[in-house]
Amino acid sequence: MATEVHNLQELRRSASLATKVFIQRDYSDGTICQFQTKFPPELDSRIERQLFEDTVKTLNSFYSEAEKIGGNSYLEGCLACATAYFIFLCMETHYEKVLKKISRYIQDQNEKIFAPRGLLLTDPVERGMRVIEISIYEDRCSSGSSSSGSSTGSGSSSGGGVGAGAR
Amino acid sequence: MPRSPGTRLKPAKYIPVATAAALLVGSSTLFFVFTCPWLTRAVSPAIPVYNGIIFLFVLANFSMATFMDPGVFPRADEDEDKEDDFRAPLYKNVDVRGIQVRMKWCATCHFYRPPRCSHCSVCDNCVEDFDHHCPWVNNCIGRRNYRYFFLFLLSLSAHMVGVVAFGLVYVLNHSEGLGATHTTITMAVMCVAGLFFIPVIGLTGFHVVLVTRGRTTNEQVTGKFRGGVNPFTRGCYGNVEHVLCSPLAPRYVVEPPRLPLAARLKPPFFRPELLERAAPLKVKLSDNGLKSSLGHSKSKGSLDRLDEKPLDLGPPLPPKAEASTFISDRQTPRPTSAESTLSVQRTSPPTPAMYKFRPAFPTAPKTPFCGPGEQVPDSLTLGEDSIHSLDFASEPSLDLPDYAPGGLHTAYPPSPPLSAADTFSGALRSLSLKATGRRGGDHMALQPLRSEGAPPTPHRSLFAPHALPNRNGSLSYDSLLNPSSPGGHACPAHPSASMAGYHSPYLHPGVLGDPPRPPPRSFSPVLGPRPREPSPVRYDNLSRTIMASIQERKDREERERLLRSQADSLFGDSGVYDAPSSYSLQQASVLSEGPRGPVLRYGSRDDLVAGPGFGGARNPALQTSMSSLSSAVSRAPRTSSSSLQADLANNNAPGPRPSSGSHRSPARQVPPSPPGTPRSPSYMGPKAVAFIHTDLPEPPPSLAMQRDHPQLKTPPSKLNGQSPGLARLGPAAGPPGPIASPARHTLVKKVSGVGGTTYEISV
Repeated sequence: MATEVHNLQELRRSASLATKVFIQRDYSDGTICQFQTKFPPELDSRIERQLFEDTVKTLNSFYSEAEKIGGNSYLEGCLACATAYFIFLCMETHYEKVLKKISRYIQDQNEKIFAPRGLLLTDPVERGMRVIEISIYEDRCSSGSSSSGSSTGSGSSSGGGVGAGAR
Repeated sequence: MPRSPGTRLKPAKYIPVATAAALLVGSSTLFFVFTCPWLTRAVSPAIPVYNGIIFLFVLANFSMATFMDPGVFPRADEDEDKEDDFRAPLYKNVDVRGIQVRMKWCATCHFYRPPRCSHCSVCDNCVEDFDHHCPWVNNCIGRRNYRYFFLFLLSLSAHMVGVVAFGLVYVLNHSEGLGATHTTITMAVMCVAGLFFIPVIGLTGFHVVLVTRGRTTNEQVTGKFRGGVNPFTRGCYGNVEHVLCSPLAPRYVVEPPRLPLAARLKPPFFRPELLERAAPLKVKLSDNGLKSSLGHSKSKGSLDRLDEKPLDLGPPLPPKAEASTFISDRQTPRPTSAESTLSVQRTSPPTPAMYKFRPAFPTAPKTPFCGPGEQVPDSLTLGEDSIHSLDFASEPSLDLPDYAPGGLHTAYPPSPPLSAADTFSGALRSLSLKATGRRGGDHMALQPLRSEGAPPTPHRSLFAPHALPNRNGSLSYDSLLNPSSPGGHACPAHPSASMAGYHSPYLHPGVLGDPPRPPPRSFSPVLGPRPREPSPVRYDNLSRTIMASIQERKDREERERLLRSQADSLFGDSGVYDAPSSYSLQQASVLSEGPRGPVLRYGSRDDLVAGPGFGGARNPALQTSMSSLSSAVSRAPRTSSSSLQADLANNNAPGPRPSSGSHRSPARQVPPSPPGTPRSPSYMGPKAVAFIHTDLPEPPPSLAMQRDHPQLKTPPSKLNGQSPGLARLGPAAGPPGPIASPARHTLVKKVSGVGGTTYEISV
């Protein structure tokens, strides 16, 4: 079985991690969470500029929504204060909710746009919200597909495996 | 307790927090137990409630400040910092609202600290919005827990104030019995509260100021914004709002992945540029029929170039196509030349030139591709074969091993019809050539025509001959000398020879051997690799027909030569031109013969050589060149080609020229002749000349003359520019070389006039 799978993988052109591009934070407006929309040159041949910029801008909008100081956050704070912060044990904060939304969005973008182009977005939260990590994969007719996947996350390799299986 | 080196246990650091906690809880408890009951009874029950709430608030905030992650940045992955670790500067400036803020490289965490981030030595972490490390809570105060710390301070201050105030009330009301337990305890509590009252209130006031100013303790203490502007401030109200009402920031140090990456990576991947280049690439590929896919980066690139070139050239003459192919040919010389040859061949199956081009393909289309009807059958075919062999060398580099035949096939299908029309082809060629200055158009016409048959064939044949001769010339040289040279010829020809007119720069070698092939290429996609299968068979057939056509050509050439000899001035050029072509033919034959040494070729060659009157001078030159070619074949192609050219140049032109010069001369000569037909002229020449000569002896020469001059002028420059290509085209340039000389001038003219015009046009 393993051998078969391995052969399949070999037959199937596996992707291997080529390099990573890091989209840095944009501090031009203070310490609010924003990422630079400057198109990195490494992606020049991998993805259209517009797609990339749309993705980053959407992420920026998500983060600004998460950090927005408004009625929602005020109420949450008061509630938390009133319950001596026990509320945090039961309920997730507004920020966490948006983060989950961001995570789903990133996953969706990966599946629809980036993965077909051999790219993989990593959630900035895993990097301390300092960078957006984009892993660039090269398709190579080799059997070393899993190695690249593991570097970016177990999911990719498992995804690759799943993909292999699906195929 | 003893601390082992490995353990990070530091009891000392827990003393302050333990003390603070003990004091807080103890005192408050005592207060509630001893003081509050009386206050409840005497003053109001609201007092304990109030104090209780305050105390609860203090505890909660104290716990949050103590146990909450302040905003620790996880260590950067190795991938992220591999570039920065050793070569990165210590500081990196970033612009925050117009103010330059310095970000320092953190050696522990391996990233540039974001603004307001600092590394806590106690916690050994970089903390976001680092305020300070508070020993009383044994924790860093950062972005996430600053609010709780501030509220802790506020609430603690309020609690202390309350404790002291209510204790005082109690004591004052129990002043008579200060020794009483309750009173004593209350007084003790008041003392403790009073003791820490000043520091806590002081700290609280300090932080209130910080909050309103939007600074952190770290910034305040280090005096970062002492004289300047704080770029992080949001205004007094905004800052307070930010501290108190902002949502709780998330934790960054998350051990388990939040969500598994479910995206699958399935190569092959989309590439934006592929989508853009899809069309051109396809065109090229199909043209060549050699390249299998876009996989070859080299080929792809070259293909792109090829495409661009030929496309740019527009409907250039077939020679152009070749030239363009050659240009791109640098990388993939073969395919283009092969293509062009094929295309050319297709048009004129009988043309031996086609054979020549054929050799470009490594695969064996040794047999005459298509030009069975072409005059230079023997030599061409042979040449082709030899060229094939030579080309193979070049082609293999291109990685087009298998497609060559395929491409050829595509060329072939039309060839049979062409052969049929071969007889007319010459005449038609001349006519077409003259009629249209746009070679490309002809090519275009050819392309579709090819499939059609006779009527188109004339055009095609026209092209083919031009192309072929040019190609042959280039091919022959190239194939002889450099496996890649054919491509080289083509390439330089193309760039140099703007398809537009042969006058132009095409004189360069490119012109010689590389008739711009764009048309052929463009066509080939249409024809595509499909016809590959039949081609092998066709080849065989062609061989027979080719032989026949070769014989025909020979006859024609004989006639041409005679005519030429009669009109030296006029035919000089053509002769020269012919010489190259014949030379090329010969070369081709030599090339082909070299490996095989077919007697037939030599025979044909001899005929060709001996024919023209002026060729007398040429012949020796040609012969020498041929011999040199043959020698060249055996040797490194490039050198031999250059030598060949030099020979030609020397023979034809006065004053030996350096190889480059010889290159130039040939190029020059070629360009004038048929810019588009660098190749074809070689074999076309004789045919065309024969035809044209008979038909239009006068006009062509004038035309040729005109052309020659501009061409002559241009080529040198072009040649120089084209030197790399020229080098390759060396062999191709060879034939033109001799023409370049004064004799060449005449030859050139002649060619243009009689066959030259035809050539050029066709080329």
